[in-house]
Parts: sequence; C-alpha cells; structure tokens
Amino acid sequence: MSVDTAPERAPEPAAAPQVSLRRILPPVVTGQEIVLLVVVVVLWVLLGIFTPAFLTTGSIGPLLVQVAPIALVGVGMTFVIITAGIDVSVAAMIMVSAVVTARMMVGLDIPAPLAVLVAIAIGLALGMINGLLIAYGRVHPIIITFGTANVFQWLGLRVFDSSTVNGIPGTLDFLGRGDPGRTLGVPHSFAIAVVAVAVAWWFLRYAKAGRSLYAIGGNQNAARLAGIKVQPRLVWVYAVTGALAGLAACMMIATGTSTLDQSVGSGKELQVIAAVVIGGTSIIGGRGSVVGTLLGAILVQTVVSGVTQLGWPTQLGFLFVGIFIVIAVGTDLIRERARRRA
Amino acid sequence: MKISRRITGALALTAAAAVVLAGCTSRNDTGSTGESGAPEGGDEQVTVAFVPKLQGIPYFEAMNTGGQQAAEELGFEWLYQGPTTADAAAQADIVRSFIQQGVDVLFVAPNDPNSMAPLLQEAQDAGIHVATTDTDAPDSVRELFVSQASVQGIGEQLTDSLMEAMGGAGKYAIVSCGETAANLNAWIEVQEAYTASDYPNAEIVDIVYAGEDQAAATQMALDLMNSNPDLTGLIGECTSSAPGVAEAVASADRIGEVFTVGLGTPQAMLPYLESGASSASILWDVEGLGWLTGWAGVQLANDGDLGDTASITNEALTDVSYDEATSELLLGPPTVFTADNAGDYDY
Repeated sequence: MSVDTAPERAPEPAAAPQVSLRRILPPVVTGQEIVLLVVVVVLWVLLGIFTPAFLTTGSIGPLLVQVAPIALVGVGMTFVIITAGIDVSVAAMIMVSAVVTARMMVGLDIPAPLAVLVAIAIGLALGMINGLLIAYGRVHPIIITFGTANVFQWLGLRVFDSSTVNGIPGTLDFLGRGDPGRTLGVPHSFAIAVVAVAVAWWFLRYAKAGRSLYAIGGNQNAARLAGIKVQPRLVWVYAVTGALAGLAACMMIATGTSTLDQSVGSGKELQVIAAVVIGGTSIIGGRGSVVGTLLGAILVQTVVSGVTQLGWPTQLGFLFVGIFIVIAVGTDLIRERARRRA
Repeated sequence: MKISRRITGALALTAAAAVVLAGCTSRNDTGSTGESGAPEGGDEQVTVAFVPKLQGIPYFEAMNTGGQQAAEELGFEWLYQGPTTADAAAQADIVRSFIQQGVDVLFVAPNDPNSMAPLLQEAQDAGIHVATTDTDAPDSVRELFVSQASVQGIGEQLTDSLMEAMGGAGKYAIVSCGETAANLNAWIEVQEAYTASDYPNAEIVDIVYAGEDQAAATQMALDLMNSNPDLTGLIGECTSSAPGVAEAVASADRIGEVFTVGLGTPQAMLPYLESGASSASILWDVEGLGWLTGWAGVQLANDGDLGDTASITNEALTDVSYDEATSELLLGPPTVFTADNAGDYDY
C-alpha cells in the first residue's frame, strides 16, 4: 500500500500548504454516501406508500431517537476503525455508565447536567483505559477491547449487584422519546447526534489531527516516520469513543423504562459496527466517513422498523441488515483492489 | 517485541487468576445457606442446585429468595448459579460444574430445552435427581417439572385481562421475546385459540419478536401502533417486553386509546400500572415458585411423595397440585397485578 496511490490515506500532515491540502482532499460527499442516501430515501418513500403511517412524526420521531445513540457511538467507532482499530467494548461501557448514572439518579437525585457529566466521565475513563492499553501495549485492539469488555461487564454487574435499578426519575426526559424530548418535532437526542457528526466531519476533513487518523490507519509506521504522534492520538480516539458511549448511556436511560436491568447496551457494539461498515468506512482502516455512519445507522433502523410496520416476520430484519453489511464490505474490497491496480 | 510479550504474559496470568478466583467465590457464595440441622437424618445435608436462565434479573433473583427461604425452613442446602446472559452454552457449563460437585438434586430452567436434554441425561447417569422448573425440557429424562402456572391458565388470563380493558373487541398485537422460547410460544398458541373461540370480535394482527431487549420491544410496539392505526391492544409476552410495550404507549401519548397487558414483574410495572399505560400484569408468586422448587427438591432427594402437597408449610402456597401422568407440580393459577397490589411485592 503505497502512500501516493491513496491520497486520502496519508496527506502530508507536516507542511502541506492550504492550497495543496484542498487539492488532495476527497470530494465533499463520496459515492457510497450518495448511494446510501438514495437507498434511505427510496426506502422511506416505499414505506410511506405501503404502510399507513411510516412517514409521520409519530413514526419517524421514535425511529430517529432509536438511531441517535448508535450514530453517536458510531462517530467514535468511525474514528477507531479509520485508525485500523476496533472497539468491541462499547456495549459494556454503555452498561457501566448507565448503571452508575442511574444509581446516582435514584440514590442522590442528581440534576440532569451532573448526570450527563457523570456518564460521560465514566465513559471517558473506561475509553482511556482501552486507549492506553492499545497505544502502548501494542496488542491488536480487538483482543484488548474484548478483554476490557469482559472486565467492564464484570464491573457493571457488580454495581447492579444482582438486582435492577428501580424508580429512575425522569431527570433525563429531555433526551427521551416523549414530548419533553422534542423541540418543534425534532428529537433532542438525534439533534445531538447530528451535531456530533457535523463536528467530526469537519475534524476529519480539515483538522490536522483528524487527517492524521487516516494516516495512522493507512500505515502506522509511515505515519510515525512522517512525524505523527501515533500513541497519543490512539489514546484520544478510544477515550472519545468511551465518552460518546457515556452520553449514549444517558439516552438509553431516558428512552428506557423507570427500571434499568443488566441487558442495557447489550448487542450495541455490533449494531454500531454494522452502521459504520454499511456507512462505507473500510474495516481495514485508512478510509471512512462519519456522514456514512449516520446514514448507515438510519438505514439499519429503517429496515428493522420497516419490517415490523409491513407486518413481515421479524427475522427478515436480520437477513436484510446482513445483506447490507456484505454488500458494503464487498464493494469496499472491490474498490480497494481497483485502487491498488491503478 | 519484548513489551508486548511481557504484557501478554501479564494478561494471561491475570486471566488465569481471575478464573481461579471466580471458581472460589462461586463456591463460597453457594456454601453459605443451610446452617440449620438436617431433619432428614444422615450426616450430610441434601443439596438442591438451581440453574436459572439468567442470573441477576429480578425474576430469578426472586426465585432464589424463595428457594433460600425454603432451605432455611426445611433444612437443606440451596445452591444457585446462572449465566449472566441468557446463553445456552454458558448455562451448560454451570450445569456441568454442578454435576462435578455431585449435588443431590439439580433443577434447571433451560434456555434451550433441546441442547439441555443430553446434559440432564449425563446428570442422571451420575446419580443426580434431575428436574426442571419455570421452563420445561419435555423431551428429556427430567423426573419433575415445577410449573409456575398452566399454559392454559396464563394464555387465558392474559387474553381475559386485555379483553377486559379493550371492551372485548378490537385488534391487538403481541410483542414476544425469544423466537424459539418454548413457554412463550405455548402461551401464544393458547392466546390465539382462546381469542378466536371466546372473543370473535377481537383479532391478533401481528406477532413480533424483540429478543430480551426492552428498547427494541418499545420500538417495535411503536412501529406496530403506526402500521395499525386501529390497534387498541398490545401484549408484552415476557418480563422485558411487558414494560417495553407500556413505555411505547406512554411515550406516544396513547394512554386510554391503546391498552397493554403483559408478563411483567410488579416493581417494573408499577409506574405503568399507576399511569394506566398498563392495565394489568399477569405473573405468579415468583418467590413461591422458588420455595416450591426447594420443597420439591427435598422430596425428590428423599424419594418422598410429591403428591403430598398437604405437607407444604408455606402459607402462601394453597393451590399446589401434582399431576402424576406428566410429572408436573403446578404452583396454581396466575396472579393478576394491578396498581392496587403491585406495590406489595419487592421484586
């Protein structure tokens, strides 16, 4: 994988003047994002025609609320996968953040801003552990995060202490599904996710630190030789993912019932990775976009909700999501091969 | 790379230590019950082990509480350990460890009855009395199934409670959990037949499966309400989807238009029962089920008479019956929890 055949992989981070930087940047939107957008729009139109109420605020609203935590954690996961890493501990981080925050909301009746801060701080700390182990341990991220996922799981279960957290107050309702969670029909949680995506899009495209993530994913050694501080960047990437998982945990508490059980977050790591991969981020690193991730998350939930609203068997949702993943990875590999040949 | 090798070594050591420690704690935890003397005679107490589908959820913890209570009152040793996810393989490992320990009686609430059957055979070959509780493994060598309520009883009570709220007519949908869960599917079958025969103006429009995921159950309930504008009822078929569907009705501001009932634990359902998002929760005395499981274990170990339900000393259990033909011990009719009585239970 030579550096100059894949311009978006390793831009000269050290001394590239503004003009040449703009010239080597990929187009504002890429093919995969347009394809995804078209697929989502077509599906929404079809579902709008064939179901009685898919395109109503009562249906799209909850759908976007369901998408929000996936897209939010997906932003962090996109960073991680761009650096050729992966984080399978996000579900466990969500669980730990959620249970500690929920316990504090019940026991100490903490106000909403503090609850959000606590959740983010816990996620950040856990993500930092991942980052430090991965950056300085030099073991593959899947092994590290698989290990920490189990440790976090244990930690969360200790806090649960073989029971559920009951009587959670409505402190976080502004992130929920109901009326307090919407302004002008737009769910706050989804708006937060969109803002996160926008900031991350700008960061990955225009900030030097953001561009360096692509370089790390393309070739870590080359990036190091080019003067990028690889280790601190990696720590930062996993820490951000943890912090976003903490914020997502607040959304899960808000959209859940007044009882929190140990299943909170379970399976979310795979949903997040599915959204990122369908969004066109290359699983081998060096390429990817957060806009794609947002669209991927919307696509997955559209398919799952669509299957239910059409009255089709629930299992079909798995089949369709699986097919989307295979298609997305397949096209990515084909493009990669074409690029290498070029 | 020296560093990575050293760290890998450290990780391996930590992992090994964790495994050893985990083994120790589980033994210590479980050995703490029956201190009182054994009235059955002999120098060793009867040990009754129970492997739930999942440890740490209120339902099985309540069963554990009942079992411990029975252990204290009847004088036997009650062991309780389950997987942290509803995973058949993890459950099988725990069953194997109890076979290794050589318990007297082994109760399982199998996640997958089919894959559990050979293990139960293995346990029986090792001289252990095997039985099921909460969920049956019909095609196995189990000597007894402690049933929380008859399939008929639950299916009909769910339907009756929902119909009472819906006025005996209208369209409703079921949000179930595991697509292969035998007990849930058996209840659904009864609900379908009973609705068709006794409520001709009511109709089940869809049955969906949310897994054990509460948020997914809520989303599916919302999708169902959107796709069926004339839907007036929802049933949450398990303890995670029952509050899930109630939350959907509450968040969509449809309380009083769409009615829900479900199999939910009282504490989780209480806020929804109070707000009217849930009309009733159908369950049974879960602690009583644990108690009865313990009692049945002692009877099995001593080759006692399971039909001798008069010897049950728990005052809450008055409707227990034993069916010799199917080897089923039945707790009694299901309990209906409403806003009035749900607060009396602490699970």
